[in-house]
Parts: sequence; C-alpha cells; structure tokens
Amino acid sequence: MTAPPVIEYRDVRKRFGDFTALDGVSLTIARREVVCLIGPSGSGKSTLLRCTNGLEAIDDGSILLDGKVLPTDARGVRLMRRRMGMVFQNFELFPHRTVLANVLIGPVTVLRLPRAEAEARARTLLDKVGLADKAASYPASLSGGQQQRVAIARALAMEPEVMLFDEPTSALDPETIGEVLGVMKRLAEEGMTMIVVTHEMSFARRVADRVAVFERGRIIEEGPPAQIFDAPTVERTRDFLSHLGWSG
Amino acid sequence: MKLDWAVVWDHAGALAQGTALTILLAVATMAIALPGGLIVAMLRLSGIRPLAWASTTFTEFFRNLPLILVIYATYYILPLATGIAFSPFATALVALSLNVSAYNGETFRAGIVSIRRGQGEAALALGMSRLQAMREVVLPQALRRVLPVLASTWVALFKDTSLVSVISVGELAYTAMEIRSQTFRVLEMLTAMAAIYWMLGYPQAKLVDAINRHFGISE
Repeated sequence: MTAPPVIEYRDVRKRFGDFTALDGVSLTIARREVVCLIGPSGSGKSTLLRCTNGLEAIDDGSILLDGKVLPTDARGVRLMRRRMGMVFQNFELFPHRTVLANVLIGPVTVLRLPRAEAEARARTLLDKVGLADKAASYPASLSGGQQQRVAIARALAMEPEVMLFDEPTSALDPETIGEVLGVMKRLAEEGMTMIVVTHEMSFARRVADRVAVFERGRIIEEGPPAQIFDAPTVERTRDFLSHLGWSG
Repeated sequence: MKLDWAVVWDHAGALAQGTALTILLAVATMAIALPGGLIVAMLRLSGIRPLAWASTTFTEFFRNLPLILVIYATYYILPLATGIAFSPFATALVALSLNVSAYNGETFRAGIVSIRRGQGEAALALGMSRLQAMREVVLPQALRRVLPVLASTWVALFKDTSLVSVISVGELAYTAMEIRSQTFRVLEMLTAMAAIYWMLGYPQAKLVDAINRHFGISE
C-alpha cells in the first residue's frame, strides 16, 4: 500500500452512555482503496462511519483526513462533509422532491452551482446509475434498489473524494440488491475511495481491497479478503463468518 | 311572535361591512400567526436553553388562557404598557395573534419532530448547514404533514374572531348585536348572523376535509 492515506483513524473511542460503541479503533484508508467493514450488529461499524463525517462526535482518539485532524467548528465540518459522500441504509431520499431535484439539491444549495450546470451533472449521474428515465418521478414510486441508486447519484453529485456506505443493501429486497452492488462495483473500478459497512460477504470478497472485522467496538482482524475469508487467523472471525453460512 | 326579516335587508350594508372585517381580521391574524408560530417552534427546537424556555412559557401561557380573557387583558394592558392608544381592531389583532401563534407553534413543532431524523442527517451529510437542512428538507415535509391541523386552526379562528366584539370591534358579531339592540329584532339578527357564519364556514370546513384526504397520508 504505497498510496498516501486519505483517512486515518487513530485509537478512536466513542461511548453512548454506558455502551462503548468504539473501543480504540485504528485503521488507515488509502486513496482509491475499497475497505469493507464487517462484523455483527452493534459492533461499531456504522458508528465509525458516522463519526467519519461528523454525524457523531468522537470521545477520544483522532480521525485524520489528508493528514489533518477533522474540524469540529460548524463551517469546517460543512467543508469536510462536501468531500465525503454518504449513502444510508434507509436511502433517506427527500420524498417531497423529484429524483432529479434530489440529485440537484447538493450542488445547488451547498456548492451554489448554476441551475443548468447542476442539472446537467445530475442527469449524467442518473444516467450512470441507470435511472435517466426516472428523473421526473418521486422517490415513493421507485423500488428500494432504484431509490438507493438515486441516493448514490445524489452523493456523487457533490464530487466527493471518499464515499461512505452504511449498510447500503440491508433494507433492500433480495432481487434489487444486485443492481445497487453493481453500481458500487463500477464506482470502485473507477478508482473511488470507498468505506463500505456491509453484510454482503460476496461483495466484500470480490470488490474490497481490504476487509476489517469488527467486534465489540474493536477491529479484531484486518487484511485482504483472501486472508479474511479463506484463512482467517482470528477464531472470532471464523465464528462470525460461519454464522453467516460463509464456507469460503 | 311575528318575525320581521326586513330588518336584515335594511341593514344588509352594515352586515356586509361586518363580514368583511371578520374576514380581514381572520386573514391578518393568520398572516401574523403563521410566521409567528414558526418562530415559536424554531426557538423551542433551537437547543439554546433560554430561548427554548421563553418559547415554552409563551406557548403554555397563551394556550391555556381563555381567549376572551386575553382579549380583555390586551385591551386594558397594551395601552398602559406601550403608552400608545391602539384601535380596537389593532388590539383584537394582537390578542388573536398571540393566541393563534401559540397554537401554530405547537403545530409546527409537532410537524418538525415527526420528520425522521435521517432526513436531516442526509441533508447535513451533503454539506448543508442546519438552517439549509431545515429550509430545504425538514420544513417542506413538516408543513405538508401539519397542513390539516393548520386548516382546522383556521376554521376555529374564523369563528373565534366573534369574541373580539367584547371590545367593540365592528366585525360581524358586533354589528349584528348592535343592530339587535337598536331594533330589538333578536331572533332575526341571530339567525342572520348564524346564516352568514355558516355559509362562510361550511365551505372552509369542506376544504379542510379535502386537505385532510389529500395530505393525511404521508410517505
């Protein structure tokens, strides 16, 4: 791994009351790298993602973006968030806006792009995720997989350097999972830096450069997918994977 | 007893004027109480303690006092407090606006907190400020959701404007009561008043039903 790190987690800790969500997580994400975070529910994967773009504040340790500690002032946080796209488990499309208006809203409101330019960008992205014909539709009329693809286009419209995916297929019907993973795979092939919290082991296996296994707020094992899935060195990793029915 | 409906037609002009003032008062009150209520809700949700406290106090004060008391109190206290002599109409407008702002504040607050947290987070994740997230994402959805409640408040307000007749605002109720005392045609004037309020109110209530049907189901 010779590329410079984009995001670096150093002994990150986060508590919610008595519950320790992150118990000293250290991890480095290089540019153009795809890192999948796997592990049981409540093990801290999503929390780490939410701390990365400041939706949650960390209690201790530090997160660095391009070698600089993440800002905490309101303006600094906004500028930082522009550089990271986030995709949520429940899509969180804005139901009162059309698909096109959902993708437009970031560039127009935040980047202050002229309407025509933003619209051209939005249409290109909708085309890219295969939904150019749905531009005028409202989110409620789309399938889950289509909504999630719009959400990816909406995040990409900000031209982020890093994409954060928080269980992007967990709320989807099985038959629409593939179309979302397909979009994500293409994005990875184009060289997007991606951190993906997922339970889709075959996606992690095929697309990830590295996989980090979480348990109880810690990373218990980390390495290339071949190692994690075929020759895990940590007993708990083997247990977790076998619970999912993973047989290598 | 013989009813003499001529009295109604004889005073048609005055009744029309009273009706116009009733409509004007209701519209002006709502025009103040919509932004007023929004400010009350925003202060309540601002997360800044003293502002939230002031907003809660305002709401609970005016929501739990009888409107007629607020009208009387405004009539006597406002000139003393400000040193300015307000017209009865302006006094009525202040009293009604305080009352309806308190109600609208609660309505807006309920609407805003009913929007899923993830919606605001998705807006923030795009790099929006809290204000932008509120304006572009949360409020438009909240407004849609509370439109039926606002419409009901409007219908209630339209009838409650009659209470300001106690401070001699020449709206419909006051005008009708004045004509009654001059002509002693009590039943005729009460009937005329009821007919006018009902004819104006019924279509509004129907409109509220239509709004409820259209916006009642969300997501």
